[in-house]
Amino acid sequence: MNETSNETPDHDSVSQPELHEPESALLASKVPSVGPLSIAFASWLIPGLGHFLLGRTGRAIVFFVAVGGLTIVGIHARGNVFPPRTADPFGTLGFWADAASGIFYLLARVLERAGPDVSRAAGDYGTRFIAAAGIVNLIAAFDAYEIAARRRS
Amino acid sequence: MQAATPILSHFWAMVLFALFVSMALGCLTRRSIPERIKYAAWSFLLFLVIGIGAAWLMYPLSR
Repeated sequence: MNETSNETPDHDSVSQPELHEPESALLASKVPSVGPLSIAFASWLIPGLGHFLLGRTGRAIVFFVAVGGLTIVGIHARGNVFPPRTADPFGTLGFWADAASGIFYLLARVLERAGPDVSRAAGDYGTRFIAAAGIVNLIAAFDAYEIAARRRS
Repeated sequence: MQAATPILSHFWAMVLFALFVSMALGCLTRRSIPERIKYAAWSFLLFLVIGIGAAWLMYPLSR
């Protein structure tokens, strides 16, 4: 038998803050102590770290695998990892795109021992893979920033 | 010493790119896990279909 009565609930006897207190307490416990900008920075530095700090572990893993996978395939294909200082404006754009992948950019710089080989199609694809990794990480960092800012507000 | 150039065919480059980017897009654009998987799978399929379709359209130009 159902224990809840068919009577109309008395709204005056049960106040709204009491109803929402456990929910708000749970939400408050999930709000990170670090600010949105720090979350975005963490997300840029290590892909997925920002989402991990926000408790979005699944997303964090996906972004880490996606950014890492794109970079590793790019390095494997001997794509061009643009250095910070280039005379070519497109090289500068390439650097910003590459650098957006955070720690994977440093990894690519270290692992690029044989140098790029863009004379072949695979090397050219590799350049695009490394740049795409940076762009994906940048979007992920914006996403983490947005989530952190929304929670804080 | 010059390292041997690893082999990455056009097809596998396209498949890997589509896979990684679709995963990220699925996570960014949808909220629930089934929706994310569905979107990622759909995006992955479209990458492949459009890529192969564009390759076939350009095939006569390579001759």
